[in-house]
Amino acid sequence: MAWNEPGGNKDKDPWGGNRGNQNDGPPDLDELFKNLQDKLNGLFGGKGGSGSGKGSEGGFNGFVIGLLIAVILVGYGLAGFGVVNEQERAVVLRLGKFHDTLGPGLRWNPRLVDQVFRVNVTKVEEWSTTQQMLTQDLNIVDISISTQFIINDARDYVLNVRDPKTSLQQAANSALRHVAGSTVMHEVLTEGREQVAIEIRSRLQSYLDNYSTGIEIVTVNVEESNPPSEVQAAFDDVIKAREDEERFKNEAQTYANGIIPEARGMAQRMIEEATAYKERVIAKADGEAQRFEFLLAEYKKSPEVTRERMYLDAVQEVMENSSKVMIDVEGGNNMLYLPLDKIVGQGASSNERSRMTNSEVSDLADQILQDLIDRGKVNTSRRSTNSRGGIR
Amino acid sequence: MQPKTLFFVIALVIVAFIGANSLYIVSEYQRGVSLRLGKLANADIQPGLHVKIPFVDQVRLFDARILTLDTRPERFLTVEKKSMEVDSFTKWRILDVGKYYTATNGEEQRADRLLAQRVNEGLRNQFAQRSLQEVVSGERDLLMVELVEQLNEFTKSSLGVEIIDVRVKKIDLPGTLSDAVFQRMRAEREREARELRSKGREQAEIIRADADRQKAVIEAQAYRDAELLRGEGDAKATATYADAYNKDPEFYAFQRSLTAYKSSFNSKDDIMLVDPDSDFFRYLNDATGK
Repeated sequence: MAWNEPGGNKDKDPWGGNRGNQNDGPPDLDELFKNLQDKLNGLFGGKGGSGSGKGSEGGFNGFVIGLLIAVILVGYGLAGFGVVNEQERAVVLRLGKFHDTLGPGLRWNPRLVDQVFRVNVTKVEEWSTTQQMLTQDLNIVDISISTQFIINDARDYVLNVRDPKTSLQQAANSALRHVAGSTVMHEVLTEGREQVAIEIRSRLQSYLDNYSTGIEIVTVNVEESNPPSEVQAAFDDVIKAREDEERFKNEAQTYANGIIPEARGMAQRMIEEATAYKERVIAKADGEAQRFEFLLAEYKKSPEVTRERMYLDAVQEVMENSSKVMIDVEGGNNMLYLPLDKIVGQGASSNERSRMTNSEVSDLADQILQDLIDRGKVNTSRRSTNSRGGIR
Repeated sequence: MQPKTLFFVIALVIVAFIGANSLYIVSEYQRGVSLRLGKLANADIQPGLHVKIPFVDQVRLFDARILTLDTRPERFLTVEKKSMEVDSFTKWRILDVGKYYTATNGEEQRADRLLAQRVNEGLRNQFAQRSLQEVVSGERDLLMVELVEQLNEFTKSSLGVEIIDVRVKKIDLPGTLSDAVFQRMRAEREREARELRSKGREQAEIIRADADRQKAVIEAQAYRDAELLRGEGDAKATATYADAYNKDPEFYAFQRSLTAYKSSFNSKDDIMLVDPDSDFFRYLNDATGK
């Protein structure tokens, strides 16, 4: 039986409240409220509840409920408002189905009906990692990369992949290893770093696009690439070896730079000395020849006398200076006893006074001085690179 | 409150409750199946608002996005019997919702287990056919493509699941193998260092030897030039002497001999045996020198 059928069921209508004649003489105010309540009931009660003019307590309750419902409705409406700010987009699912991606501005999405996901599409996020891996030539290296990314499609980001950021990290690891595994160690550690970064970026982006994550990779940088610590010493030694190579060459060059000018200096000296000798010899020859010619000129003027004089002077000097033993060989004995050693001894002892000239004395003094220097007993300030120094 | 109001409120609650159980929403990123008394009624519910019979129908919803299966690292052998620990991840998504439900009872963990088994087996086979070098560098992409194809044959038909991608996150060599790699790396570096140093020494030797050579050449040439000069001097002097002495060779011989005698006999240690008959003593024996 329906609520509004004619008959006695009216008072069982829960929507319309009790319309039975239970209360007598309602106050006028109640009448007012009752009218209001009737109107509200008219909205909600549908077919039931209209036409009854009898106010009741139930009507009063119905009114309260109506008011409550109105308040809830307004609250619900207000709660649906929201703002999408400049950096965000809002992905809206209406009753489950994708409805729209909202841009910046005011939005209204009723609760329970619309599900809103807010996604920041302007913030550039960064993620870095350090890993150890094999290169193409089966060497092990440590590589640090950092990648910056941004969400460029909010819908894809929300709807296509569960946990897109973790997916990015995993994909990045995989891309990094793939690229490192296709590059030789030398390149990875030195000049090829940028190329590696470029390849990682394009590979990573292709993975992410394959999954439609809605993430765009802004940059990938290889922050560091080093040989593992276990072999670092050996790598450092190579650098040292390069330096050593240079050093050996430099040392040799220094040696060469020293020795050749020295040789040239020595050569110059030899030439100078030879020239000096030549000059000396020629001058000496000139002098002596000239002296002879003078003498010859005088001799020619009176040869015999000059000859005799010279001869006697010479022999006299010879006789003076040497020990003599006069022997008459022809008329003498066949056996003659000559104690020569005694004669020599006498001759030497009678002439003990030194017969040294000034130049011989100074030569002797020089020799003594040199000897003392060699023995380290005397310090001399006379130093020169010229090995035939100034001790003359 | 009057009893009728109470009824009213209670009835409201009951209706709301029933209403809630007869409506459900499937989001864009989900798919679902509905079961009526345990049997599959709708095998692929699309996103949106749907109605069901409360308490009789049961709805199971699944994540329809691309999901990631990240297993523990597994140990595989290459064709050269080298062992390594491989950490991989698999990207998959539900393709046929009904089949998926049937195969896994809607439990994602179960799906993970079934997939992991297959993926590891596939990886094992792929690795076993290749050398370490190929795995690391050359054929990585090819390996993955083949693997995904093979896996999909099984997963699509048996699990209702599509494999999007299988990728290797990490390959770890066991201690002995990585030690061997380090050893080799060290040895290569040492060889390079040695080569560099030897080259350096070689270059240094060359430079030094060249410098020594230049020095010797310079000195030799200087010696030669010096000798030439000395020779010239000697020659000139000799010529000068000869010119002068040739004017009277005999007188020269005389004068020169006298000088020689004087300097030869100039010490008391020299003993001369003198014959009184010599010309020097001619006036000694006779006043007229006969």
